[in-house]
Formats: sequence, C-alpha cells, structure tokens
Amino acid sequence: MESSASLTRSEALRAPHLVAFRAMAAVNEIQLYADDPVHARVMAAGAITEVRRIEAKYSRYRADSVVSRINAAAGGPAVAIDEETAKLLDYAEACYRQSRGRFDPTSGVLRRAWRFEAGAPIPTANELDPLLAKIGWHRVERKAGTIRLPIAGMEIDFGGFGKEYAVDRAALALREAGARNAVVNLAGDLAVLGPQADGSPWRIGVRHPRRADAAIATIPVSSGALATSGDYERFVEVEGVRHCHVLDPRTGRSARGFQSVTVHAHSCLVAGSACTIAMLTGRDEGLAWLESLSLPYLAVLEDGIVVDRFRESR
Amino acid sequence: MRLAVALLAAAVLAGACTPVAPYQRGYLARPDMAMEPSDAGTAKALEKVYPAKEAARGGASIGGGGCGCN
Amino acid sequence: MAATDDSRAGGPSRGGPLAALTQAALALPILLVAPRAGAAHVGEVGFATLGYKERGLMKVTEPLLWAKLQLDDVWEFEANGALDIVSGASPELLTNLSGTPVQSITGASVHDRRTTTDLRAKRRFGDFSLSVNRTVSNEHDYHSHAYSVEGEVDLDQKRTTLAVGIGRSDDHVGSSLDPTLNAPRDTNEYLVGITQVLSPLAVVESTLTVARGEGDYNDPYKSTLTFFPDAILPILMPDTRPGHRNELAWLTRYRRHFPRQEGTLQADYRYFRDDWGIRAHTLELAWEQQLGERWSIRPALRYYTQSAADFYSPVVPRPRPQLLSSDQRLGAFGGLSPSLRVSLRLENGLTLEGTAGYVYDAASLRLGGSGSEAFSTLRAAYGIVSVSHPF
Repeated sequence: MESSASLTRSEALRAPHLVAFRAMAAVNEIQLYADDPVHARVMAAGAITEVRRIEAKYSRYRADSVVSRINAAAGGPAVAIDEETAKLLDYAEACYRQSRGRFDPTSGVLRRAWRFEAGAPIPTANELDPLLAKIGWHRVERKAGTIRLPIAGMEIDFGGFGKEYAVDRAALALREAGARNAVVNLAGDLAVLGPQADGSPWRIGVRHPRRADAAIATIPVSSGALATSGDYERFVEVEGVRHCHVLDPRTGRSARGFQSVTVHAHSCLVAGSACTIAMLTGRDEGLAWLESLSLPYLAVLEDGIVVDRFRESR
Repeated sequence: MRLAVALLAAAVLAGACTPVAPYQRGYLARPDMAMEPSDAGTAKALEKVYPAKEAARGGASIGGGGCGCN
Repeated sequence: MAATDDSRAGGPSRGGPLAALTQAALALPILLVAPRAGAAHVGEVGFATLGYKERGLMKVTEPLLWAKLQLDDVWEFEANGALDIVSGASPELLTNLSGTPVQSITGASVHDRRTTTDLRAKRRFGDFSLSVNRTVSNEHDYHSHAYSVEGEVDLDQKRTTLAVGIGRSDDHVGSSLDPTLNAPRDTNEYLVGITQVLSPLAVVESTLTVARGEGDYNDPYKSTLTFFPDAILPILMPDTRPGHRNELAWLTRYRRHFPRQEGTLQADYRYFRDDWGIRAHTLELAWEQQLGERWSIRPALRYYTQSAADFYSPVVPRPRPQLLSSDQRLGAFGGLSPSLRVSLRLENGLTLEGTAGYVYDAASLRLGGSGSEAFSTLRAAYGIVSVSHPF
C-alpha cells in the first residue's frame, strides 16, 4: 500500500508518538511516526498552529475573530471577508441546501434560550419565537467577497463545521510535514492519513452515547475522516425526555431520533456535516439521508438500536 | 413443466418478501450467510469430493472444465 | 484547492448530496483521503489440502493454492492452482464369474497426477459486473480447456441479483492403455440465477445450469464381463456410452440467521436430470453455530439419491445392446454424508478451517428403494484443512 512504503523497516517496528495539545477548549491529539518525541512535536507543529489559527479566526468567543466582526455588524453594513471565509460559507451553503434548510449557520442565536445544565428549564414558545425570527440563511446577503446579516441580533456560527475544517487543515499540514501514517483527533472528530506503520488499521473507539468511558463500537480505520454527532455532548433531561444541543432551526426545539451518528468520509468536513444533518433530519429520513450518501456509518437510534454499516464489506 | 412451476414460484417469492431497508443488511454480510463456504480453499476442495462418485454434477457455476474422474 | 490522496476521492462521478458536498469541500485547501475502514486489504492468499480415502481403495491428496486481488473496487482477479495426487487400486472389470456381478479389482495400482489452473477476472460497472474465467486441467489421460463469461446485475438496492452465464469446455480423453486415443468431448454450458434477500435475516439463491455435450464419454478403463449359464464363452463389452449428454442442474440455497441463538441455518437442494436417464436429488442441511468472536462450528448432513442411467447394467444383456456401462456411478443408489467444520477467524483476517466428512453410498439408501443390486457400498472419509490470509 502506498502508505507503508514510505517508512523504513526499522521505523515500522516502533510505536507511534502521541502529541497532545490544547485547543478549542479540549485536549486533542496527533499520532504519528517519528524518530523521537522531539521530532514528533516538530512534525506536528504545523498542524497544531493551523488548528489554533482557525480557532482564533472563527471562534465566537474571541472579540477579534472574523465571526465576531460579522456578527457585530448585523443590521448594519456588509463586511468584507477573505477567500477562506467565503469558501467555508460556500460549503455551509451547500449543507444548507442539501439538508433542505435544517443545517443553518444562523441558528446559533438559539443558544440564548437554551441552557444545557441539570435543572435548567425548557424554553417556551414565547422565548423561542423572537429568536426564530432572527434565523434564516436565505436572508443572509452575500456579494462579491462580502457578507451582510440584515437583522440586528442575527448571528452566524461556525460551530457546525469549524472544528471539522480544522481537522482537515491539520491533516494537510501533517501531510506537508511528511507524515503518511498518522491520525489527527480533535476531541472525537478525526482524520486518518494512513494506517499504522505495519499496515494494520488504527482502532477508533466510538463513544457509547449512554455510558461514559465505554465504546459502543471499535472501528478499524485505514484512511479517511470520522466525525460523530451525539445527543450526549450537551443536553438537559426534563421528565425523562432528553433535549440536546442539536437544535432544529425551524422550531427551535431539540432534534429527535438518534442518540449518536458516526460517519466515515474523505474529509472531516463532509463526515461532520453528514452526521449533523442526519441528527437534524430525524430517524427515518435521517437514515435515508445517510443511505443516500453511500458512506459507511454507525447510528445509534433513539431507542438504543445500533445500525452498523461498517461491518459490510465492499 | 416442473421448470416453469419452479421459476414461477421464485418470482412469487421475490415479490412476497418483507421489506428490508438497506441499513438492515448487517446480518446478511456474515460469512455463514454466504452461499459458498466462506473459505475459498474449503469450497474448492469440496468440489472434488462428491462429483467423483456421483453422476450428478454442477448447479452453482459453469466453466470449471471436466476431469477423467467421471 | 484541496489535495486529494486518491483520484476517487476527487471528482464525484454521480450527482446527489455527497457530490454536492464534495464539490464544495474541494474548493477549500484541505486534504481529502479515500475512506477505508477495516484493514487496507487488497487481496487474499490461501492454501488448502484435501485428503480422501475410500475403504480399501482410493486415496487422493490434493494441495491447492489460491490468490485473490482487488483493485479500486472495480477489478477483481482470482487465480488458483490445484494438484491432485491419486493413488490406489481402481476397479476396472465388473464380472459375474462368481454368479453375481462383482467388481474385480485388477490389482493394477493407479498413480495419477492432475494439475488444474484457474484464472478469473471480474469488472464492476456500478450495479453490473462482468467476469471471464478460464480453467485448464491436465492429467496424463485427460485434458480440459474451459472458459466462461458471466454477467451479474444488482437490482432494487442490491436486494435482488440476477446472473447469466455461458461457457464452453473443450476436452480430450486419452487412455494409458491405448496411447492412440485422443477423443474430443466438447460441452456448452448455460447458467441463469437469481439471488433474493427475503428479510434482514434470510436470503435465497436459485441457479439453473444446462450443459450440452458431445464427444467421447466412454470410460476407457472399464469393461463388463458376463458369463451365461447356457454359453461357454463369456461376453466382454467395453464401457460404451452415448456420444452426447444433455444435463440440467437446478440448485436452490437458503440461508437464515437466528440472532438470539447466534446460529445460521443453511439448506441446499439440487435437482439433476440428464438425457442418459439419470435423475438425482441432493439435499444438505447444516447449522453454523457461532462460538464467541472467533470460532464457529458447522455440523451438516447431506443426503443424495440417484436413479440409474438407461444403459446401466451390471451384466451384459441379451441381445447385446449398443450402449452399456456397468460403472456403478451410473447406477441407482443413495448416500448419506455427515460432516463437521470448525472455523477460526482472527481479527487480522487470518482464517483457519478444518472439515471432516464421511461418505456412505449404498443401494439400500436410494429414495424409494430399488437401488442397483450390484452396487458395491462405498465407505470413504475426507478431511480438508485450509488457511487463508489477507494482505
């Protein structure tokens, strides 16, 4: 295989190095093969720098980020954006279209009504309606390198695809640093450049949606990206019903149907959007959506049934 | 005549199946659900055992050629 | 522009949501890598050996090697080679000298080697695939060249698969007793088949094959020697069969999984008929039981029954007919064959499999009775050991 050929036999006998780093409010890791831990850090440096750059540029928590600038100008004039931002928004547009409006980068305002903590109440219609009036990607005006949010209080949020983009950029940086058999993992969204040095796949555990520290499945991955969306990341349970952070922009309410969805694709961007759109679409239509992609996936339905499409060969 | 009945039965059977959503195909991919023995060596070796002692041959495939054994 | 690690991960060839998302993703400066789950296996290599022993008679050992290679999910190649080593006495003369017809083992010990090589190439075009196959088999008194072409199409999201095939075999029959013998035997074969998923737990396949052959079907080593009470001289007639053979085989296979028991029921039935007058039924029932992640065990029972060929007779009738064979493989008999298979499948893909079986063929087992009187009961045992490893 093309990956193993790039390592000498002595390198192949060694274990991979794990480089851990903090970014995006989580501990992330890169695994790769190098002569020693110092060399490993050097190889991973470009990827780590990329992740932090993207976090700085698109985080809504930083006042100087591109996203904050755009949101601050909501209801005001158009804001100039660079090529990278424009292309990311083009990607978000494609997700909006393919999900028929369920994936909406302007749905971040719903954050103001929901608190995902134990004991927090479910927002009422009165609280949600004014926010729903500020949602709608179709309202966003995009012209020649600019973007304008026409209503004051409107927001765009890169949270639905920013981390996945960072994974894919980090993968490119690793490749450019010479890594062929490596994994970059940002808290569960990951990209595999190539199998382990001996040709065997990396064994990726998919988190059990109801049992912390347990895996619901271990998937052997040789290459490609894996992303997971789950109802266990941020949620609140009221009267036995779970409301999670994946919110339907048309109703403001929590998406239903899945406990988690994991998709294997050629890029983390596509894998992540595939999962998120599935969760937003509901059980039957969501499964049909996943089937229409012809990508391997693992879905845990609301009632706990596991649909594992990784097991099938070819 | 029997052939016609058989083909008709097969067609009726095909129409009367319970719907299987593609995502339910997991069990069907198991090695013991395959038609041939999942191990290629066992399958090929078995081809030599019975036909050499019986008049009936074939059924699953064609193009295997003949032998002096029957 | 995105860097792609695989030309397939790049330009999407069909429309649909994946194509739309991929198109947008390609515009970004990211890395795209073809998703490969499981081990990055492109092929498999294996070795098996078969041992077969008949009570007092034949012993066959056969090592065989095979390899499979897949390229890009589009091409699939398969090659295998087998070497048969046959040794042991083989009955040649059926004589009724003792009063009832018995097989007389001439004592001549047979040592024969047969080599078979088989090559196959298959190409996938979306839901349709085409494969070509060539088999060459050589032993010192039999040469066979065969080839076939087969097409398969998946319908209804792969719930139904249809297969159609044609093939031809050009064989030459020789004899170690007669070096000048080099008679042709040519066969045309046809296949139609359907595989249908019945439910998430069950699948059925039914295949019909028809073979039309012409040429020399006589067994050059067999003869019938018959003594008559009212004649001094016996009649010796060599094995004489028709110059053509039309066969039909209809095989139906059913598989049903039982998730709670972690086992699968396997049932195979084959109906066979030919224009030599032979009708045969084969039924095999097996249960494959999963034992943990790696092991499985499969007990099975196979029942076989056949009627005699029109020209089969253990004695030469009077008046002497044009066609006659006393080869008991063309007689009426039935057989039971229990077998047991144990499989070990490791995580890295290595598979080890052992099969042991016993074959018991007798006139008394024929369905409905009236098995051929002269049929000499066959008792045989076989063992297969097979190892395969992916790469």
